[in-house]
Amino acid sequence: MNSSSTPPLEIMRDLGTNVAHGKLSRRTFFERAIALGVSTSVAASILAACGGSGSSGPVTLSLWHALALPDPNIDQLYKDFHSAFPNLSVQATYYSYNDLYTKIVPAAAAGQLPDILNIDNPNHQAYSSQGILADLTSKISSWGQASNYYKGPWSSTLWQGKNYGVPFESNCLAIYYNVDMFNAAGLKPPTTWDELRSVAKKLTTNGVYGYSMSLVKSEEGTFQFLPFLWQSGADLSSLDSPAGISALQLLVDILNDGSMTKDVLNYTQQDSITQFIGGKAAMSMNGPWQLPGLKKGATFKYAVAPLPVGTQAANVLGGENWTISKTSQHVDEAWTFIQWTQGVAELTKFDIADGRLPTRSDIAQNPTWQNDPYLSVFIKQFPDAKARAYGPNYPKMSAAIQTAFQSALTGQSSAAAAMQQAASIVKPLLP
Amino acid sequence: MRALTPYSFIIPALLFLGIFLIYPMFTNLLYSVERVDVGGLLTGVTPFVGLQNYQHVLGDPQFRSSVIILLIFTATCVTFQFIIGFLLALLFKDRFPLSGPMRGVLMVPWLLPMVVSGTIFKWMLQLQNGLFNYVLLSAHLIHQPIAWLDDPHIALAGPIIANIWIGIPFNMALLLAGLQSISPSLYEAASVDGANLWHQFWRITVPMMRSQILAVLVLGIILTSNVFDLIYIMTGGGPVNATTTVPIYAYQSSFVFYDLGSGAAATVLLFIVLVIIASIYIALLNREEVRS
Repeated sequence: MNSSSTPPLEIMRDLGTNVAHGKLSRRTFFERAIALGVSTSVAASILAACGGSGSSGPVTLSLWHALALPDPNIDQLYKDFHSAFPNLSVQATYYSYNDLYTKIVPAAAAGQLPDILNIDNPNHQAYSSQGILADLTSKISSWGQASNYYKGPWSSTLWQGKNYGVPFESNCLAIYYNVDMFNAAGLKPPTTWDELRSVAKKLTTNGVYGYSMSLVKSEEGTFQFLPFLWQSGADLSSLDSPAGISALQLLVDILNDGSMTKDVLNYTQQDSITQFIGGKAAMSMNGPWQLPGLKKGATFKYAVAPLPVGTQAANVLGGENWTISKTSQHVDEAWTFIQWTQGVAELTKFDIADGRLPTRSDIAQNPTWQNDPYLSVFIKQFPDAKARAYGPNYPKMSAAIQTAFQSALTGQSSAAAAMQQAASIVKPLLP
Repeated sequence: MRALTPYSFIIPALLFLGIFLIYPMFTNLLYSVERVDVGGLLTGVTPFVGLQNYQHVLGDPQFRSSVIILLIFTATCVTFQFIIGFLLALLFKDRFPLSGPMRGVLMVPWLLPMVVSGTIFKWMLQLQNGLFNYVLLSAHLIHQPIAWLDDPHIALAGPIIANIWIGIPFNMALLLAGLQSISPSLYEAASVDGANLWHQFWRITVPMMRSQILAVLVLGIILTSNVFDLIYIMTGGGPVNATTTVPIYAYQSSFVFYDLGSGAAATVLLFIVLVIIASIYIALLNREEVRS
């Protein structure tokens, strides 16, 4: 056998799970047992412990998610899983982003949660701390793959040293820029804050704004603001520091220069890229999920550049995680599903087909991403991407930050006053 | 047994009211005097905290600002919906060519889902490419595009405009029904006596319509005060908190911050105010009946 380091009993246990899920015949199981030098009676007891007499009935795993629809690739993922484990199938239900999160808590209270939840990573710690999710620490440590994941995405699955899930997908932000406009003006994409401001100003002409982003009063706005905060060297614990204030001041300056429309206060990231595709903005800070739309819609040459650097490079981590609900009757089967999707072959296949970025650094070395002029820009920023892992009170902190940037950008208060106000709310809420 | 038979007929109605009205209202009332967070919901342990949630809500500057915003929103919407609806009702009282189809078309805003209306108005009010600014700029009525939804000083105007547009058909339909119930002989007699249209309107139409007008206004106030989806879609309560009305505040407390106790307290306070308004309406209505 090839896995000389793994003890035979451990291997038999894994095989036993496969039998339980109909992936392996009982006969093959016992043949392997003999090959490994495990007696048939011990093998039989392992099989019984796995709940697998081989006749356990089929299990349908329920799954809730808020991933964009339609997505034939994820449907294919469920189908492939069912072919690999004929006794298991996945029944996925889609909710819109807001609906999913207003539904989870009441459903948890009523004991109506599905087996598997695919959730946005900033919400993960809140649900972990609230006791909604199954603790997967021991399963994950015996699986032994944690070190292959990027640190940012992985940290969002942890709460107080315990592990409540596995990253599903990761993304971060970059600057999309209109190459035609940049060439016409003889400019290069900005690499520093000063350059961002001056380049944006130079590209602003009649009817075209140099720069666009989303600063809407929702988590999307916070998501786009945080990279600037972190680039300044500040964090949520130091919003009112000179560095933190400088981050907000930069955006106020760009707005006051006229290089960014006031509409950003109501723009979603989708609105921002729509302006870019329509040729109304020369740059848009956005995520990799916009690439398919750009490929279809843009009539000009575009490219992607890393976010500019303040006193340090920083980016924000987006994406979803796989989790299992605490009330699930099929935690083992659900874990089988998650573990299967995270296999190198399966994950690579799915990520490439679906245009998603890998969460595992070992997979990211695949030439598909490394040679892609767009995706490679995002991947190279992953080491700088921070998760919004600030404990269960994060939604309140996020709301305070939204109020801060909106009141400074509308001129209701200065950047300093806005950040001081936010800091007074955020500081006591930090874990 | 026989005496019980009539009661069995009202059981379905009672069940409906009990499950869909009384139980949720009672639960909401209960939540408003308990500390209800996620942990509490999961474990079922929601300790009684007396009026603490009410103190918290009433002491929260954001709640007080949401009350003022709600007052402006409701007063403006109801006034304009009512006046425009009344004028249209007067127009459609008499039949004229195409009056039927036109009246039908005017009902469309009432039939459209709020989500659709909200999204369309959000687009039309955009700073850059919105229809409103395009028309106003083309007509040289303004020189700079207006940041309808992005400027906290005027952002409330957006949902107000959209909500007036939605509410006009409702006002028109109810008032038109009232107008059509007034006997034409009254107007004939008045014109024989030499009363002009202005006099006829104030001396016949308004007094005869008193109960309909009252009903339309009270229903308008209640419906408008509870508007949530339209504002949520158009501005999400922003920019800053410029369009955060009491329902948006309650939503945020309950489903963003998971402080369901405070969210419930805010809705109970709104509910009490609306009950008082409705009681005044009923009292006036009773007096009306006594008088006639």
